[in-house]
Amino acid sequence: MTTLLDVQKLSRDFGGVRAVNQVDFQVREGEILALIGPNGAGKSTVLNMVSGVIPPSEGEIRFSNQPLTRVQGYEYAGLGITRTFQNLQTFDDMTVLENVMVGMHTQTSASLFSCGMNLAKSRKEEKMMQEQAQTWIENVGLAEEASLLAGSLPYGKLRLMEIARAMVAKPRLLLLDEPAAGLNHTETAEMSRMFCEIRDNGTAILLVEHDMDMIMMIADRIVVLDQGSKIAEGTPREIQENPRVIAAYLGAE
Amino acid sequence: MKQIIDKWGKSIGIYLFLMILFPFVMPDEYYRSVGIIIGLQAIVTIGLCLVMGLAGQISLGQASFWGIGAYTSAVLTTKYGLPPFVGLIAAAVVPGLFAFILGRAIAGLQGYYLAMATLAFGYIVQIGITEWESVTGGANGMISIPQMTFFGGSELSMYFLIWGVVTCVLLFSLNLLNSRVGRAFRAIHKSEIAATSMGIDVRKFKLNAFVVSGMFAGISGGLYAHYMGILDPQPFGLHESIKFLTMVVIGGMTSIWGALIGTILIGFISEGLILLGEVVPGLQGDVDTIVFGAILVLIIMFMPEGLVPRIRAAFEKGQAKKAKAMADDAQRKQQVERKAAT
Repeated sequence: MTTLLDVQKLSRDFGGVRAVNQVDFQVREGEILALIGPNGAGKSTVLNMVSGVIPPSEGEIRFSNQPLTRVQGYEYAGLGITRTFQNLQTFDDMTVLENVMVGMHTQTSASLFSCGMNLAKSRKEEKMMQEQAQTWIENVGLAEEASLLAGSLPYGKLRLMEIARAMVAKPRLLLLDEPAAGLNHTETAEMSRMFCEIRDNGTAILLVEHDMDMIMMIADRIVVLDQGSKIAEGTPREIQENPRVIAAYLGAE
Repeated sequence: MKQIIDKWGKSIGIYLFLMILFPFVMPDEYYRSVGIIIGLQAIVTIGLCLVMGLAGQISLGQASFWGIGAYTSAVLTTKYGLPPFVGLIAAAVVPGLFAFILGRAIAGLQGYYLAMATLAFGYIVQIGITEWESVTGGANGMISIPQMTFFGGSELSMYFLIWGVVTCVLLFSLNLLNSRVGRAFRAIHKSEIAATSMGIDVRKFKLNAFVVSGMFAGISGGLYAHYMGILDPQPFGLHESIKFLTMVVIGGMTSIWGALIGTILIGFISEGLILLGEVVPGLQGDVDTIVFGAILVLIIMFMPEGLVPRIRAAFEKGQAKKAKAMADDAQRKQQVERKAAT
């Protein structure tokens, strides 16, 4: 399988503290790679660097062989990298449909003038956005909530909405930051099934998650971070038996 | 067009009805001129609403774009003999350019810093207009600016010309609101991180909103110059900028309709205060500034979302209650019927 995302010697300092230290890993086409580790291991920081929210202090990230060093944060979506957020970033005063339609920004190009005058191009794109957004809203199971304001939805449904919003952009790599946090068992199982479907349809997933049931069930490979450094990498079975991982999680020396 | 008619058909209908009705129930020339001024202000505040309410930036310099538009058209028509129509186009383009340059310069600023920068810009423009005497006539201003001869140029035809422009600006903004660009503005307002992750170039879109608002203000300024026929720098200062801001905040920053209604409300309150000032001695001069300041403070304290969103929320709540009551009723009926059946 070809490498989609290649992370080399990635580091990040906050003030004098090294949050991420010389981390290497690859995400291959068509796989779910889980990034796990105890609290403060630097998982979210890695995800923020891979999605262009914060720049790395050192190291390189390449996406389908193109270095992302000089790529602006807003260009990531166009390249094919979209994400969800651990602490939800939803547009509360828009409907669920509108939220998901924002996700299609890079698929459309009508100018401000065209939009204000409601010219043919804008109308055509608007229709296309509505249809595709609706499809993804149905895929994540929010069809009934499509016309409700996002601000009125419970936490779990907003997580689903963020996934629809990220997927409607047709990404090649989907970054998920703790998508199962705050969900119950059934919801988690439902979501796991959906992630497998997304993967099988050709979008690779980099998943940061605490829910071990979910990870063991869906991850193809796992990278373990502890205190900013990578301590292990392998299949779920290998990771479960790795003494360093067990030590890191149990806090043993 | 269809979308906004689906969504706001009723509101647009009521708006058109009242707008057309007003000059006929107020046949007094004075009140028609009040209506014209309110229309001119509405063009500015709808633009300001795009910047503040949608893209989430504050501008304390909107009156300076208004002034630049007014003087651009006045100078071109008075000194260079160009027709007002050409002057008006320049009145949109020149403030747009100023907004573009200013917007580029202050692109990284947020919150207080942005407010300070636009405030400073406002002062510079007003001082610039006052001091550039050879062109603008300085503090004495300009006279005999050509009037527009739209359908004879009567007060009534001017009213419809200006409210025609308001209607265009309103429809343009409503269209924008429900398009990829408008949603990008609103997304930026709520979360710049999320907007960026969805591929929205935050700086570019903020700048776009700023330029559009500058152009709207400029068009209004040009119309103002040709309507008044005289100009002086006094109305284009901080006082007016804050008045625009108050109008947008009262109506509800996040709503285009709010900007329009806020503008009309403040316009009426202004007139009311003038009438009151004739009856109550001592209620003259800058009383309106004090009243608007007080209104602004009260709104921010008790109704930060503004009138229109508040009313809309109350209305929707009422609808939901009604729907629930009906559903409960139906359920009860069903239960009764079931009981009767068994």
